[in-house]
Amino acid sequence: MSVFLEKLHEVLLSVVPITIIVLILNFTLTPLETPVLIRFLLGAVLIIIGLAIFLFGVDIGITPIGTLMGSSLTKTNKYWIVGLVGLFLGFIINIAEPDIHILAGQVDSVTGGSIPKFSILLVVSIGIAVMFALGLLRIVYNFPLYRFLSLSYLLIFGLAFFTSPEFLAIAFDASGATTGALTVPFMLAIALGVSNLKKDSKASEKDSFGLVGIASAGAIISVMLMSISSRPDKLTGSMEYKLPQESSIFRPFIEKLPTVVGEIVLALLPIALLFLLFNFVSFKLSKRAFRKILKGLLYTFIGLVLFLLGVNAGFMDVGGIVGYKLALLENKAFLILIGFSLGLVTILAEPAVYVLTHQIEDVTGGYVPRKLVLLALSIGVGFSVALSMLRIIIPEIKLWHYLLPGYIIAISMMYVVPKLFIGMAFDSGGVASGPMTATFVLAFAQGAAQAIEGAHVMIDGFGVIAMVAMTPLIALQALGLIFKVKARKEGVDANGQ
Amino acid sequence: MVNNVGELELELLCVIVNFGVGSKVVKIAKKSGITGGTIFLGRGTVNSRILKWLDLDDMRKEIVLMVGEKAEIYSAFKTIAGELALHKPHHGIAFTIPVKDLIGSCRYKKVKEGRGGEDPMYDAIITIVDRGKGEDVVEAATKAGSKGATIMHGRGSGIHETSKLFAMEIEPEKEIVLILSEEKLTEAITDSIREELKIEEPGRGIMFVVKVSKTYGLIR
Repeated sequence: MSVFLEKLHEVLLSVVPITIIVLILNFTLTPLETPVLIRFLLGAVLIIIGLAIFLFGVDIGITPIGTLMGSSLTKTNKYWIVGLVGLFLGFIINIAEPDIHILAGQVDSVTGGSIPKFSILLVVSIGIAVMFALGLLRIVYNFPLYRFLSLSYLLIFGLAFFTSPEFLAIAFDASGATTGALTVPFMLAIALGVSNLKKDSKASEKDSFGLVGIASAGAIISVMLMSISSRPDKLTGSMEYKLPQESSIFRPFIEKLPTVVGEIVLALLPIALLFLLFNFVSFKLSKRAFRKILKGLLYTFIGLVLFLLGVNAGFMDVGGIVGYKLALLENKAFLILIGFSLGLVTILAEPAVYVLTHQIEDVTGGYVPRKLVLLALSIGVGFSVALSMLRIIIPEIKLWHYLLPGYIIAISMMYVVPKLFIGMAFDSGGVASGPMTATFVLAFAQGAAQAIEGAHVMIDGFGVIAMVAMTPLIALQALGLIFKVKARKEGVDANGQ
Repeated sequence: MVNNVGELELELLCVIVNFGVGSKVVKIAKKSGITGGTIFLGRGTVNSRILKWLDLDDMRKEIVLMVGEKAEIYSAFKTIAGELALHKPHHGIAFTIPVKDLIGSCRYKKVKEGRGGEDPMYDAIITIVDRGKGEDVVEAATKAGSKGATIMHGRGSGIHETSKLFAMEIEPEKEIVLILSEEKLTEAITDSIREELKIEEPGRGIMFVVKVSKTYGLIR
């Protein structure tokens, strides 16, 4: 069983830190009620088991499907097929993504129904699909990633002038919210499959990354376009954040189960059907390989259900309560400090982070170690949560005060860091804002905003994900810079005898 | 420090361990006087019926290649086997192969003289260069009459590359090119690669030749 234990060990290391911090908080600053605490611990156990199973599922199910699709697409050697199938794939996997449904629901409610949920769903999915297809074409056409991203963000900045500030937050949130636990590994694998076929090994390596980042930009652009074209009046809905009052230990788990199962079935179904279709048309796998992938999909399903159940029923409430209680404290420095440390550890338990860091290790042959990527991500997300807390405490700070300089830094860094790190950085933005941050950190921020006068639950809440999606861009590129400086050969000239 | 390859006996040490242990192997070996090592990723399987049924029998492995003088390699071999407890199951395997020729190392200057009297039909030429240069190696080899080559992707560090990042050693990316050649072509191929890539200059890479006693699937 050593393989399983090894994975479990790896997962344990990623979930235990957040559990410890919450436990420490429980005994010091923010005592939790017993049922909440027990639910949290139960949730942690579910998350550990679920994450381990899910990661196995991704390894033998999702990733092989994605790489097979990517390489068989490229082998057709026809640009229009790559573009068209990319469009189709991007659309179908994104419209089924649970996060996008949640986002659409939120937008629907805060605009008072002036933008119906269904049209949001459609527009955002199309936006992502178009960018996804362009991203694939970029790889086969050898168009440099940094130029592509510069152009995309130039467009975003241009559109931002015409977008209302409330919608700006929603738009940047969309970038993080839409790239969920299933779509990210799948997109990463497709990019790998396409770029694997390149003869030039250096290009093949750096082109394995970047597709997720491009797709995220698609989500931002489409939400902005939508807000400009429909010109919604002032946002009417006032989202109230209610502190959870649940006293039962098991009921939330049982209540949440059907929704979680439903969401994941919906999200996994397109991938499974596409696999069957592709297998029939082009892969024609051996029976053993075919069965293995099906098993992988099953693991993915079981793992993700357990994971999300743990997060939604165990972690979310705790996030809200801790945020609320901390914000009530006299000394607001606690809120910022603890926000930082929570950000630091939450990201470790994010499923897609695993997939990305492993892929980085595989693609670079271990040259970029997982631990360093995790470290950079942790620090980045820690800062993003701390800055968000600062923004909640001081209402004068607006979201764009962070986002504008942040993205300008991220984009200018692209021109100096090693090209390999650009793709990784922009992918990690989408990866960091997965189900764990989207629930735990968001609930934390909303709880805090509820407690502080002058803070707006909706606006402040929305901006957090946008921040989490932005800081890794800078953190990972900074890591790239350090690598660039450090990896020079030493003493080559001195020793030239 | 300049030694003569013709008089020295060189060995290639190959260690296959679980993922994550490769860098440790190189570190231990460096303490025993080996100047550098190259690591690449592979996949291995586990022997367990339950895991096989669950289709979880795939494991990531790291393969470490190191070349050095026989005595040094053997002492490194022993230390590695001891420190990693290779005698226990699931801890990895290690083996050595005699090396016929070594080019590109500062310590052992190349002398054109084969070792031993046996006459195998084929040689395996293994070239390790920086990432992205593998294609050039293949091109140079093809010019000299090689029929094909296999490029693997790995990481590694020689004596010129010893920078650290938070106590973690940086091991730059490498490409490992494996070429099987008829013995009479070996010299031409190695010469061509040497000229094209200037492998004898420090920090350009390393190339060594091992004897192969049997091959299948090579088309003349």
